[in-house]
Amino acid sequence: MDVNAFLDGFSLVTQPQNLLYCLIGVLVGMLIGVLPGLGPAATIAILLPITYSIDPVSAIIMLAGIYYGAQYGGTITSVLLRLPGEASSVVTVFDGFALAKQGKAGTALGIAAIGSFVGATVSIIGLTLLAPVVAGFALDFGPPEYAALALLGVLLVATIGSGHMLKALVAAAIGLLLATVGRDSFTGAERFTFGNLQLTDGIDFVVVAMGLFGVGEILYNLEQRHGKPHVPAEVGNVWPSRADIRQSSGAIGRGSVIGFVLGVLPGGGAVMSSLAAYATEKRISKNPERFGRGAIEGVAAPETANNAAATSSFIPLLTIGIPANASMAMLFGALLILGINPGPQLVEERPDVFWGVINSMYIGNLILLILSIPLVGLFVRILRVRPAILAPITALITILGVYTINNSTFDIFVMIVFGVIGYLMKKTGFEPGPLVLAFVLGSIVEASTRRSLIIFDGDPTGFFTRPISGTILVLFILVALTPLARKLLRRPAHGSAPTHDRHDADATV
Amino acid sequence: MRVSKRKHLGTGAVAVASALALTACGGVETSTGAGDGQGEYPSGTVEMYVGASAGGSSDLISRAISKGLSDDLGASFPVINREGANGALAAAEVASAKADGSVISVQNASLFVITPLAVAADQVTSIDDFDVVGGVSRDDYVLVTNSDNDWSSIADLKGAGKKITYGTTGVGTGAQLSCALTYEVGEIDAEAVPFDGGAPALTALLGNQVDTACLQVGEAIENIESGKLTALSVFSPERIDYLPEVPTAAEQGLDVEVYQYRFMTVPKGTPEDVQETILEGMKATFETEEYQKFNAQNSLTPMELSGDEMLAQLEEDKQRYADLVEEYGIELGSAS
Repeated sequence: MDVNAFLDGFSLVTQPQNLLYCLIGVLVGMLIGVLPGLGPAATIAILLPITYSIDPVSAIIMLAGIYYGAQYGGTITSVLLRLPGEASSVVTVFDGFALAKQGKAGTALGIAAIGSFVGATVSIIGLTLLAPVVAGFALDFGPPEYAALALLGVLLVATIGSGHMLKALVAAAIGLLLATVGRDSFTGAERFTFGNLQLTDGIDFVVVAMGLFGVGEILYNLEQRHGKPHVPAEVGNVWPSRADIRQSSGAIGRGSVIGFVLGVLPGGGAVMSSLAAYATEKRISKNPERFGRGAIEGVAAPETANNAAATSSFIPLLTIGIPANASMAMLFGALLILGINPGPQLVEERPDVFWGVINSMYIGNLILLILSIPLVGLFVRILRVRPAILAPITALITILGVYTINNSTFDIFVMIVFGVIGYLMKKTGFEPGPLVLAFVLGSIVEASTRRSLIIFDGDPTGFFTRPISGTILVLFILVALTPLARKLLRRPAHGSAPTHDRHDADATV
Repeated sequence: MRVSKRKHLGTGAVAVASALALTACGGVETSTGAGDGQGEYPSGTVEMYVGASAGGSSDLISRAISKGLSDDLGASFPVINREGANGALAAAEVASAKADGSVISVQNASLFVITPLAVAADQVTSIDDFDVVGGVSRDDYVLVTNSDNDWSSIADLKGAGKKITYGTTGVGTGAQLSCALTYEVGEIDAEAVPFDGGAPALTALLGNQVDTACLQVGEAIENIESGKLTALSVFSPERIDYLPEVPTAAEQGLDVEVYQYRFMTVPKGTPEDVQETILEGMKATFETEEYQKFNAQNSLTPMELSGDEMLAQLEEDKQRYADLVEEYGIELGSAS
């Protein structure tokens, strides 16, 4: 690392003009992040013409701010309205929404903001010191590794939430099945599209999530309200207490590392990191049955991890010229338009851009943390709004949000269908979380496995002989067999306490 | 809530864009005045559909043209991303729109000449539903390998003595066709590994997960210049300016000529004068230094032909690809 260039980058960032663009970027990002649908990629596209007229470094600082600012905002609707705008915040919904119902929305959002700040900052330090090393790691991840990792993810999905293991598995299986809809990306054959061109690229994740979580919840509440008079939700302790912070600190620490490492992987890294962070916390917790019913670590871990992952996803872009997700692709395009070539030579050719962007993130995250304090207090008041008013507004937000993803009215109807399914699932005790997460991971499992088999020339032992995929698969087998083995070992030993057995069944991960 | 904000951002962007137009390229304004017999076009907002998500080369090209058109013609030309089915969804929106110039689209040749070779007959988009206003630019493909492999030409691949894997950017794309043809025509034992777009294919190649890949030049050029990838061949008629050292497939004895190009379309039956105005606006855009810089940055070669020339090119390529695929028995997709 070139210390001089690093320090030059800092002096560049602290120029008033760049500070201003950083502030604008993170503020816009946070606002668009609050509403699901219009994501950072589309926002960057809309703002692109403005950047022609300003200095390239300032422009990139602003556009990057939109991206990581949106990660902060995304938590708010997940916790307050049960609307996860991105795959990586689905996990937050379980405990975040449960906390909000208990009047602890402020605690959840506050911890999420602190976790996001710590996660992002740890990740930026990692980015500053280790970028080239970690970039190499991303390249070692080929199709077999993705297949193994996503398979492990599907297994973790089954343990998420508070419901029955069996019901979670059923939901996950349906999610996997839904992932097969669309034109097959290897042969071009149509699968479950019923000849409809609208379905050729499959179903969009946000459409499914908005329907199952958002619309499903609205329908369920409508029915509930007929039964009993409305009691306005209590909105207590707007900022987390010291005890909350102490309780979450371990989750935040582990989430930062998990997020940083997995975020480097293009395609699915952020989802995997939030899932893995949540599963880790549940696994090591002394009383895992709290998870899914309002455990603060269940918010801290995934929110820390997905912010850390969002930050480390800059590594492939800045060091090898590979955009890790749609927003990074948009930044890649923006850099080209500004006359900068993102790639291996960036750090030598344009150290001002490289270090300017990285160092601006230290400051941007600090601004976001400071902004969060008043905004959390403001947003939790949403919960005081009567459901009769809040429900139609939420419905409107979901419809607009889904429409803006791809300017498609077809998607709105698909969302409504999923809303009805979500309602029925809730009535019958199935959780949408495992379905949605398995849906996201399903296409990674399938495509990566088929790609691997082509590369191995049809020989499946290749998965085990490669070091990384082999290790992940061994981990997979261990995780899958541990509870079973424990049960088998314990059974001969005279009837142990039944409560312990239940814990073990819950803590399968 | 979201809509109003989006509009707000949009108008903000347009305001800045037009402010730029006023200060930077005052000379272009005269062309807007040539309005005799052209009616009011463009009288309102003109929607520009793109069949790809924000950030890819199709999207960026549309945005560059959109900016040029609004600078020159004065109206707002918002880009609307309608991703899906290799661009067929956006094409369907344009084909069914009112033929008055209020909906236009820069479309990809691959949708009309390559995708039909891979998908079912009832899902083919026909060029007959559109009027072609004029050409935009050509986007070339390059066959690359990781520099760890000591290969420097297509002949080296043949001498490698093993089955070569090649990454493509998906089914029914020019990247797939160019690679498939190269290996078939060159009689090299090879296997396709389809990826979901250029970035994952590039990642796999850099990580030595696949032996070779066909990518768009803009996607690969940074890593070619830094020496991490070796370019083995381009598939253009002549060598391209951005990679002057790299021989064409024809130079290496293989009759493989595949490229992507884009052109402006309007719904069939759009009045001549409207098409004329759009073409004038495009020509003015092509003249600007900013647009030319954009082309160079994205490794695009201008292909600013007339609508009729463009249409002829499309028909010719469609026939040529179909013949080649049939001659060599190549299957791009099982549903063809």
